[in-house]
Amino acid sequence: MAHNSSAGRSNGAIALPERAPNRIAPDENVHVFWLNGMGCEGCSISFAGASNPAMEQFQWGTLPGIPKVILHHPMFSEHSGDAFTEPYRQAAAGRLGAPYIVVLDGSVPDDEALPSAEGYFSAMGAGGISSHTGSDRPDRVTEWLYRLAPGALATMAMGTCASWGGIPAAAGNITGSMSLMDFLGGNYRSSWNIPVINVPGCAPVGDNFTETLAGLLHWAAGIGPPPEFDELGRPAWQFGETVHRHCPKAGYYEEGVFAEAPGDNMCLVEIGCWGPVVQCNIVERGAVNHMGGCMVAGGACIGCTMPGFPDKYAPFHKPPPGSAISGGISKVYGGAIRRLRRMSMKTGNREPLWDNADEVPSAWAGAVGPRSGTDRFAAYFYKKLQYNGTVHHGNRYKKQPLPKSRDILTQKGIDHTQSVDVLRERSLPREEI
Amino acid sequence: MAYRLETPREGGGLSGTRQVNFDPVVRVAGALALHTTIDHDRGEVVDASVLGTLFRGYETILQGRDARDAIFIASRICGVCGSSHAATAANAIEMAFDIQAPPMAVAARNLLLATECLYSHAHHLFVLAGPDYSEPVVKATNPELWARAEGTLARGVATHGYERISDIMTGLTRVSGELYAEALYMTRIAREGYVIIGGKYPHPQTTVPGGISSLIDTSDMNIYMLRVVKFFDYGRKVAAVWDDIIDFFYEANPRYREVGARAPNLIDNGHFDDPWAYDALYENASRWGEARWATPGAVVDGRLVTTDLQRLHGGTEEFVDHSFYENWSGGGASGDTSLSANHAWNKETIPAPGSPSSSKYSWCTAARWDRHAMEGGGYARLWITSVANKSPHRMFCEPTGSGMRFSIPQASLPATELEWRVPQSWGALERNRANAYSLVHTALISYDLVLMCLDLLRKGEGRISTEFRIPKDSREGMGLGGSPRGLVNHHMTMDKGQIESYQVVTHSTFSASPRDGSGQPGPIEQAVIGTPLLSAPGDESYIDVLRAVRSFDPCMPCATQ
Repeated sequence: MAHNSSAGRSNGAIALPERAPNRIAPDENVHVFWLNGMGCEGCSISFAGASNPAMEQFQWGTLPGIPKVILHHPMFSEHSGDAFTEPYRQAAAGRLGAPYIVVLDGSVPDDEALPSAEGYFSAMGAGGISSHTGSDRPDRVTEWLYRLAPGALATMAMGTCASWGGIPAAAGNITGSMSLMDFLGGNYRSSWNIPVINVPGCAPVGDNFTETLAGLLHWAAGIGPPPEFDELGRPAWQFGETVHRHCPKAGYYEEGVFAEAPGDNMCLVEIGCWGPVVQCNIVERGAVNHMGGCMVAGGACIGCTMPGFPDKYAPFHKPPPGSAISGGISKVYGGAIRRLRRMSMKTGNREPLWDNADEVPSAWAGAVGPRSGTDRFAAYFYKKLQYNGTVHHGNRYKKQPLPKSRDILTQKGIDHTQSVDVLRERSLPREEI
Repeated sequence: MAYRLETPREGGGLSGTRQVNFDPVVRVAGALALHTTIDHDRGEVVDASVLGTLFRGYETILQGRDARDAIFIASRICGVCGSSHAATAANAIEMAFDIQAPPMAVAARNLLLATECLYSHAHHLFVLAGPDYSEPVVKATNPELWARAEGTLARGVATHGYERISDIMTGLTRVSGELYAEALYMTRIAREGYVIIGGKYPHPQTTVPGGISSLIDTSDMNIYMLRVVKFFDYGRKVAAVWDDIIDFFYEANPRYREVGARAPNLIDNGHFDDPWAYDALYENASRWGEARWATPGAVVDGRLVTTDLQRLHGGTEEFVDHSFYENWSGGGASGDTSLSANHAWNKETIPAPGSPSSSKYSWCTAARWDRHAMEGGGYARLWITSVANKSPHRMFCEPTGSGMRFSIPQASLPATELEWRVPQSWGALERNRANAYSLVHTALISYDLVLMCLDLLRKGEGRISTEFRIPKDSREGMGLGGSPRGLVNHHMTMDKGQIESYQVVTHSTFSASPRDGSGQPGPIEQAVIGTPLLSAPGDESYIDVLRAVRSFDPCMPCATQ
């Protein structure tokens, strides 16, 4: 059931069927078989850092309506060796007797093409996957994947390496690495008829993954709505917009103000930020517990959620080519907008009382005193426009008497001028907004 | 050599010599397998091979790239210690570019590195290693120990709140235990602080050549401090929990000192540069190395032999006799003839994925220092800093020559003094204890760094990056950094800003290494060989072997890039 979702999204989103082909019973557990391919463990660390929901909540079975997860994970499981790989083996042989999800982090090496039958770049376990032969031959992750994926409820690529190949598949690699979609092929469907689900990011926001897993399980249990995915299998609600649209620094771009050096608080495009053309949600979701996020902290976006990462976004510390045009236009257009806005702020930064009294009772350095003629003139026209065709309640201020207890310390004769005037010495240069 | 292609599997009881493979070893960071030969009659492990079962080729992927990009590429070598690789790559670039990050940037990088330790030590102690000492594991492997634990009062009850040792063991239970869940929660608290400056974790997005691209203000420090302070109480608790567990095991059976035991051969680069001593110049590395808040050094057979960063760097070699690589022809990229042909600067990465055999069995190279098999770790950092007694900065942490005293300020619990002492024996439990105290150490360093950042703000020294030009000639750069698990070395040669060679050696390239050319096993192999089987007869989990491996806190993405 494909449909175009709300305006503003550049791509259509594809929802899974409203009713899942099967249904997980309320007391049924779902196994998650995690595999590490050509990864760095960062995806597992992101998974452990998620809190919406958290890794352990799946395992506790304390998420209402979401089946309890039996997690088989090289970083978190109880048993090592054969005791660990035995359930994987059962699932690969179709003997598990329970629904399972396969999660891969890391890309997939071209191990199946190696001249040596027993060579590998990425292996887990030994002894043969479909039958336990007693050999020490390492079990390639590639073999685990092609044996486990067809029988899975769903197959999920966690992170950019598994989703798009990532750094192990970058120029100069000698392992022939590729993404899970590349490896399984464009026709792959899980046993529930779902193509590969991709939750990209290097490392991904942990919540993006756990939220997708929770949504999938909620749907599989016959309760939640069908999750929507875009044409590349990304959760559409997470990756349907550019990161720039929700960036806290996007307003600087709009006003044509750009950082010139790392640490400047303005739009980072000119020091190498690709945010305007990168699909990611880290700035509004935050990195951990809704805190942080690349540009929130001041880091330029290098496109780590995108299929072209890293090579299509490198060299990183250079402005993207398109920014010469868009940034240039923004400087002219945005610069004009910014000046107009600063004019508006001059009146907005004053209590109406200060207008009436014609003074600002602030000893802070830089506070403006009486308004200049130009400011009064601009304010007059601003108000004309603001109240055109509507009530001008602000006019009533002119009849408002000044409060009698203004400047109470002077009225009472309390001496408050003896303190050292530290403010003048400490008056710091402050950049204009 | 334990590695054999066909494993003889004997039925029935556990007697005689058996080949036992742990593939994979779970609850460590990354792809690690252990193949052992266990002699049940002698009741100990007689042979062991550690296999790194992953190779991605970062060193070759980095070649030919813009040198500035090394930070964001190399950071992704490891997602457990990504901050360390980013910072170390930045140091290598800054040395090659001849630029220096301003004090605030050095302080902020230190703060990120220290916070990474907070999350990482908690993760290791309770998510990875802790379950080995938990109720279900102890009940299954040593029922007599569980009975004893139920009858043993915990000395640290006032600090951690657990009345009996058995209560602590219940808390350590994987997934359901309180200490397990609390550790996961605390790792998130540490990351919340981290991402305020780093943007995200792992793989920070704000480490750039010449500084940091995050504006540090008092709001950041407010958020950061609130989180760091939580680690005061937590650090007290973690140290008390591990002291109680370890003392319990020793009192129950002194042979637990032999689990994972080996001669203390430790190496560390030190950690946390002094912002005013660090100048990114190799010729001054001995000086700024010793000015680090945690001191660089090498301990051989329990004796500190050097604290000289240049000597540590110069003596580091890599051997591939038992690794899936071909030997490289001499000379090497740096052309520096004063260094060994096996020095990282002269090394070339030539992978050869072949059939595993007793001669080639791991993707990890055999890193050695002065031809010794050294182990790196948070515990090595604590040990070396303690015995070197050279750290110039001692606001909350006072090395004594035989240990380190910590003055933990008041939080919810009152201010306390804690002391870690260099242990009499060196094995799995002492590594864990030292890592627990490392959590305290890095919590205090984090707090100290927050205070330093605030002080720099007070003085108006908030500048956080440096302008630079890409050099038009041929250069070398080196980052000798640290991570929660110990040293991280990056070596880069570049021409006109383009990387010619990039070599990485880390703590786990040392710890998880296979045998070297002379047949000397790697540190984990040494520690597993000789580990006694102390669990109940018939226990096929061989829990003490796994305790030995996990105590190293190995990190395989760091070990095999």
